[in-house]
Amino acid sequence: MSLLGIAWRTIRQRLFTSLLTSLSLALGVALVVATLITASIVKRAFASGGGLGYNMIVGAKGSPLQLVLNSVYLISRPIENISWDFYREFLPAAERPDGMAGRYAASVQTAVPICMGDYFRGYRVIGTNAAYFDRMTTVDGGPFRFAAGVNFRDDDFFGGVLGHEVARRLGLSVGDTFSPTHGADDGAVHDPFRVTGILARTDTPVDRGVYVNMEGFFLQEGHAKPTDGVSDSTTPAAVAQPAGAGGRPAPLPDAQREVTAVLVTTASIPGLPAELMAMGLKQAINEGRDGQAAEPVREIRQLLDLFVRPLELLLLLVTALVVIVSAIGILVSMVGSSLERSRDVAIMRALGARRSHVLATVLIEAVLLAVAGGLAGWVLGHLLVAAIGPLITTNAGVSVGVLSGAPLAELLLVPALVLLAIGAALLPAIAAYRTDVARWLQGPG
Amino acid sequence: MEQPVIELVDVRKSFAMPGGEERVDVLDIPEFRLDAGAHCALEGHSGSGKSTLLNVISGIQRADSGRVVICGTDIGSLPEPVRDRVRADRLGLVFQQFNLLPGFTALENVLVAMAFGSGRTDRARATDLLSAVGLGHRLHHKPAELSVGQQQRVAVARALANRPRIVLADEPTASVDAAHQQQVIDLLRTTCTAHGVALLVVTHAPEVAGQFPHRLRLEDFNRAARTPSR
Repeated sequence: MSLLGIAWRTIRQRLFTSLLTSLSLALGVALVVATLITASIVKRAFASGGGLGYNMIVGAKGSPLQLVLNSVYLISRPIENISWDFYREFLPAAERPDGMAGRYAASVQTAVPICMGDYFRGYRVIGTNAAYFDRMTTVDGGPFRFAAGVNFRDDDFFGGVLGHEVARRLGLSVGDTFSPTHGADDGAVHDPFRVTGILARTDTPVDRGVYVNMEGFFLQEGHAKPTDGVSDSTTPAAVAQPAGAGGRPAPLPDAQREVTAVLVTTASIPGLPAELMAMGLKQAINEGRDGQAAEPVREIRQLLDLFVRPLELLLLLVTALVVIVSAIGILVSMVGSSLERSRDVAIMRALGARRSHVLATVLIEAVLLAVAGGLAGWVLGHLLVAAIGPLITTNAGVSVGVLSGAPLAELLLVPALVLLAIGAALLPAIAAYRTDVARWLQGPG
Repeated sequence: MEQPVIELVDVRKSFAMPGGEERVDVLDIPEFRLDAGAHCALEGHSGSGKSTLLNVISGIQRADSGRVVICGTDIGSLPEPVRDRVRADRLGLVFQQFNLLPGFTALENVLVAMAFGSGRTDRARATDLLSAVGLGHRLHHKPAELSVGQQQRVAVARALANRPRIVLADEPTASVDAAHQQQVIDLLRTTCTAHGVALLVVTHAPEVAGQFPHRLRLEDFNRAARTPSR
């Protein structure tokens, strides 16, 4: 019989105490794992936003962080809308009806409008144009890829593209239709849009977005800006016609249009660093009264520095405390059973066990308890994270499953726990090492 | 002439009195020998040093001075880990309270003893030993599930686990009712005879000591026991 076998039988002998010790350890580890994973996910979620295929967001005056959170992460509320005319200031001559380049067009490579405020079964609906997926890039710098179907066309007013997570969770496929609701999930139901494509997974908030043609979005009830009776001679009055009902409906007049934000990729000019170009554009916009420009990378870095990292540090401290308390649990359990152990140790020593044998047996016992509790806690932690996954998805914009994790931290967790368990078991192990055999067996005669 | 398995020469052992520097002599033995295969009963009054003598012979406690030679090895001069190994390999111990490990089955109690010896853990031999003492049908029972007599039999089988040259039994009948005392003695003697093992039984029961060919009183060769000072 090996020392491992002896340690295992000793645990079995004190099954109830051992189970309680392991359970307390498992709960501690589960908490630690859940904390580590959640912190890692939140950090990764915010970090991933910094690499999106645009470097500036233009929106209504207000909090730049709110603008970024809303436009990039699809969380928080939109500040306000900006005018259609202001949006057009970012467009080149070819994309404007007057044939003149916008005020900021020279500094802009791509400007994609987004309109928000609608939902579809808990997911944000974003009205935009085909340029979003045709001209912008993903976090890895490449074009958007479609897992199924294709991007909607600008002339297909009621076409839409689903983020990977949305399609997976809601079970929607290319060709299916969906009807967004106004303002909230229980708001007025809008006209149906048809799914033209489903995006490949990007591990960014894009996965949680429902993207529809902005032209169709404008035509929905409550989306047209009131004009106080001022007619717009360039376009007919808007009357929404469902797609496929025979002929394309008339687009919303420009005077009634607004957008929530514009995602801007600044132009690069030989000899002028892109950062300087962005800085100049940002300054020019922020000096005006029409809106504000925010740089997602800067806002996210500030968010990480001011909020996420201190929170992460706090969570790590809590984690360390939990692990230490768990280790103390092992110590208490083993010291509590030391009276019973002393007699067993004395018997084993009388049978020829060396002091090193009993020392090792006690340490192995602690390691077994730590490994059992650690592994159970690890599984429990992942189940816990999976259980709160929807909450994380809603608030951090990242899909979470049972296998989501913080690999390095988790890899270190069980060895760290084993080391702590050994440290905690040293006291009872030394007590076992020093057991007076004669005293425990019969006493001097 | 065959070498004795136990040989004590000028062995002294004393203990400090609680709370003072004064020491009390427990063992003062000019000479003691037990030959290979011999069966000997050792009597002595309470406090005469019987248990201390067994502890010194088994190497659990070290003598203050003198030679303690076990199967030709003077264990008095050896470091503790080596004494432990000598005890595991050459001595089998049977205690008054049996001292079985409560969380281990009968079979595991025998296997544990093997784990500390030089040989391999031999499950078949452990099973044979338990079968030989009539416990072939109780291999997987824990001590609490065995009768007092059965526990003592497990203790005997465990003492023989590592093919010892000597079995030391400390009051093996003291915790057994009168009806079972004779069974325990018979079991010890027949088993030790069958394995060619020397047997030293410490007892204060004259009816037990009377059954052994060699019968000694500790006071006869332990000078510290002649004038009880405690």
